[in-house]
Amino acid sequence: MATLAQSPNPDIALRIEGMNKYFGNFHALRNIDLTVTRGEKIVVCGPSGSGKSTMIRCINRLEEHNSGRIVVLGTELNDDVGNIDEIRREVGMVFQHFNLFPHMSVLENCVLAPMLVRKLPRQQAEEMALRFLEKVRIPEQASKYPGQLSGGQQQRVAIARALCMQPQIMLFDEPTSALDPEMISEVLDVMVTLAADGMTMICVTHEMGFARRVADRVIFMDRGEIIEEAPPETFFTASRNERTRQFLSQILNH
Amino acid sequence: MGSLLRNQKARNALLQAVFVGALGSLVIAGALIAQQNMAAQGITSGFDFLFKPTGWEVTFSLLPAKPTDPYWWYFLIGIINTLFLGAFGLVTATIVGTVVGLARTSSNDLARLLGRSYVDVFRNIPLILQVFFWNALITHLPPPREAHEAWGFALTSRGLYVPILNVHGLAFAGAMVALLAAIVLPIWLGRTARLGSPPEQRRPLQLAAAILALACAVLILFLGRLPDTALMNVPALRGLNLQGGLRVPPEFTALVVAIAIYGGSYIAEIVRGGFKAVGRGQVEAANSLGLTPWQVFSRVRLPLALRAMLPILANQYVWLMKATTLGIAVGFADFFMIVALTINHSGQTLEAIGILMAGFLIINLSLAALFNRINKAIALKGNQLRG
Ligand SMILES: Nc1ncnc2c1ncn2[C@@H]1O[C@H](COP(=O)(O)OP(=O)(O)O)[C@@H](O)[C@H]1O
Ligand SMILES: [Mg+2]
Repeated sequence: MATLAQSPNPDIALRIEGMNKYFGNFHALRNIDLTVTRGEKIVVCGPSGSGKSTMIRCINRLEEHNSGRIVVLGTELNDDVGNIDEIRREVGMVFQHFNLFPHMSVLENCVLAPMLVRKLPRQQAEEMALRFLEKVRIPEQASKYPGQLSGGQQQRVAIARALCMQPQIMLFDEPTSALDPEMISEVLDVMVTLAADGMTMICVTHEMGFARRVADRVIFMDRGEIIEEAPPETFFTASRNERTRQFLSQILNH
Repeated sequence: MGSLLRNQKARNALLQAVFVGALGSLVIAGALIAQQNMAAQGITSGFDFLFKPTGWEVTFSLLPAKPTDPYWWYFLIGIINTLFLGAFGLVTATIVGTVVGLARTSSNDLARLLGRSYVDVFRNIPLILQVFFWNALITHLPPPREAHEAWGFALTSRGLYVPILNVHGLAFAGAMVALLAAIVLPIWLGRTARLGSPPEQRRPLQLAAAILALACAVLILFLGRLPDTALMNVPALRGLNLQGGLRVPPEFTALVVAIAIYGGSYIAEIVRGGFKAVGRGQVEAANSLGLTPWQVFSRVRLPLALRAMLPILANQYVWLMKATTLGIAVGFADFFMIVALTINHSGQTLEAIGILMAGFLIINLSLAALFNRINKAIALKGNQLRG
């Protein structure tokens, strides 16, 4: 642990060591160890309630971990508010239910944080927002409100909103689970493009096609623990872990 | 005919026609009966009395009033008094309610406990008791010659004394309007689409409008200064009484305090409900973008909470407006009390009550219409069910 603080490796985006998380008496995360290098794409999967959301929400302090260490881009996540702010500026997050601000237009959603947090002038923030809206392929919706868009469009706006902060790491918590089937691919396509650009990504998802295409590693969680960590091909075809195989047979045969 | 009855629109229209017809016949029947009764008692019905002098004094008036003034002038005074009391009551109740409501949603245990106790206590004591309590408390304060004075304010058994500017009443009202314009104009300029330029480039225009309105206010005050007096008129003890300043009568102070505290306890619950209705997801998204707690509050939580609470708040305001009629319990000359005195002195019961009801209807419908407009203007666009 001492070595970690003394010589931060610039290639490491995220390091979690011996992290535990409790909700009251409930032990939600057990001894999580995870290292993610820059540019790596991690897919996290596992049964419902296994702690996937809780784990990635600890990375930007939406949940507070109880023990162990989390170091994001060389900054340790602790009670220091300055550290938390610094990490949140560099880590973008996309949620299952989009969580757009319904009282703001798409453009306002995108420029809010760059203007308030990065102190960009409005014009510059808007230019950048339009660039990212083009990247997620909906620049024509900029003046609409979230409630006027389809789920897939809303999720792409949410991705653009996160990208407007120009984060170094992106977290995705089941970004396609709330979408109608015909909208899933439009969101996954955007995520594939993002991966091709070299973004460091940690995605909780059960989209196995996406995992095969994009992931460097797949992490399988169950009951608050990381059970298995493997490259996608090995994970899907040659896992020797009983619980993994059971989970895979469930999601592949439904 | 049968098919017409099955048509949804035709059926609705028919139902409404029947309802309006029934209501109309009820009103006409009532009026006819009343007219007969009054004729039997020797009272001439009609609204001629409005133009006769009242012959009695009114205890509180923002307009000049003397017993030779006609009834319609007194009614106007009553409506203005009601609006005046209502305005003070609603604004102070909103301030109290916001503070207590925010305390109830805070993460601090003590603040939550205090907020909760406040609501539990003051919501469960009838408003009229609270009015009596504050009125009794104020009238039992020391008399003016023993009053404690601080910064020119003095609270005495004869009411609250406050310092005022030595300016003409009209000039003061004009200055208030100008001050209001200094706030409203920049907001309007920032929102209206009538100007061609994008809203962000209107900053200089907004600033100029605000400064101009402020300058107008100062100019009006300066022009309206009473000659040969100091700028401030501060109450001071002369003999047994306080002279100068403005005396706010005890009953008005008691009413405002009671409405602020009682109304505040209800508004606190509305505020709390509004903040509870804000989705956790939106707050988490704002946090994850790195916004500070204040930015999350002012840009996300407050605007969304306001939208959730405005419709209920409008109801509460209408309710509190009606509660100002408690003025009669402590002798404040609100609209209701003036109507009651009119009935005593003129015997024109039905006409006076009709005017009272029409007046409150107009006040409260205007209030409701104003809130409806605000609601529509800030309503969330599109379908909200999708999240
Ligand atoms: N705020 C919370 N309070 C209490 N328990 C929680 C809370 N959030 C999650 N949990 C519990 O923690 C476990 C892991 O939840 P979560 O991380 O959401 O699982 P996943 O995302 O893998 O479905 C679940 O059993 C859930 O009930
Ligand atoms: Mg989850």
